[in-house]
Amino acid sequence: MLRALWWIGFSAAAIWAQTLLPGVDFLAAGLVFSFQEEGRGRALLLALIFGLLQEGMGSQPFGASVLWYWFLYLLVSLGQYIFQPRSAPFATLLGLTLGLLHFLQTYAMATLAVKAVPLDRVLLESLLQAVVFPLEWLLVDRLYPARMRGHGQPV
Amino acid sequence: MKLKRVAVIVLAGLFVYLSLYTWNLRTGHLDTLAENTGLDAVRLVLKPGRWLADQVAAFWQRYVYLVGLQEKNDQLQAQVDELLMERNSLRERAMSTDRLEKLLAFTPPQAWERVGARVIARRMGPNALLETLVLDKGSLQGVTADQPVVTPQGVLGRVLRAGFTASTVLLLNDANCRIPVLGQKYRSAGVLAGRGPGRELELKYVNLNAPIEPGELLVTSGLAGSFPKGLPVARVLRVERSDLSLFLDITAEPLMDFEALEEVLLLRRTSGESQASPGGD
Repeated sequence: MLRALWWIGFSAAAIWAQTLLPGVDFLAAGLVFSFQEEGRGRALLLALIFGLLQEGMGSQPFGASVLWYWFLYLLVSLGQYIFQPRSAPFATLLGLTLGLLHFLQTYAMATLAVKAVPLDRVLLESLLQAVVFPLEWLLVDRLYPARMRGHGQPV
Repeated sequence: MKLKRVAVIVLAGLFVYLSLYTWNLRTGHLDTLAENTGLDAVRLVLKPGRWLADQVAAFWQRYVYLVGLQEKNDQLQAQVDELLMERNSLRERAMSTDRLEKLLAFTPPQAWERVGARVIARRMGPNALLETLVLDKGSLQGVTADQPVVTPQGVLGRVLRAGFTASTVLLLNDANCRIPVLGQKYRSAGVLAGRGPGRELELKYVNLNAPIEPGELLVTSGLAGSFPKGLPVARVLRVERSDLSLFLDITAEPLMDFEALEEVLLLRRTSGESQASPGGD
């Protein structure tokens, strides 16, 4: 129950944050944290919910969030074999990769859908994504209740 | 992680993604699912906050911000008097136009009705490719895709997608938005296109010899089938001749500040008049 409430609160805060900084994903940091702390099953459920939220509020053809969160899963899965997964440097590295990915994916999806895209704006969003992700991951790690830790099956 | 496992994850992910993408292209089920869940959930989260902000703003205006109210009231009263006189004159002209149209056996233009909606968010999330607004009205209130969205100043855009209780509006200044327009004075036709946020609009495909001048108001032509005819859209800023093109190079400015919008009007055809008519398409 507490876990559900915590994630509902996190999602609401992230949605509000997304209205303030358009183009930046504030849900991704929570998803990565859930994957690392609570395991694949719970993270998959969150990914489904977050994917629907992002698709609903976005304006790209359906599938952009599927691709986005799938890449995130791949990056975290691969990264944990090379780096210390639950550390600030790894979160920073993930943030930088997500920033680059945001630029490439937005450009590719816009090209596929034959839509014009302002590249200067997407570049700024990518930079913001790279900065916001590690900071938010650290915040989530700090705020996540101690009594909920250790009950999942961390990856 | 073994290389084989990575390859399986990559291939499985690609397979799932491409399957979902192509299936959705054909059926549109996933778009509908996202509109009726994700978009509505966003409204559920944002609406209480907006309500609270409105209450605080109303409190501020009612009890604290009273300086100059009498002066403002006098100005508005004078404006109301002027507008009343103008309305009476225009009503007379409208009635004579009706008589003349009836005399010439014109098909009457189709009627539209207005529904007010509140802006609860702007572009949001990593998938926010287009310049959009989120409104607090959806399909349960009769909102459908492609419905015109206006303000008292003029056209704002059209509904891009509609969830149950919220909808997304594609703004006029988005680089992917196109609206067929006419010059109000000389009736030169063209297509108004956005260039992105904070930038001027572009009027395309106006012939080199077409009469049009800076300051002229551009109104909807009604040819696209989704906007009523004659709604103000933008004002011509510059008209330049290009040596390389067969068309004039025309820049226009929107009639409103897209960043300052709080309420908008959705237009829909009145029931019982579903057939498109020449005057009001």
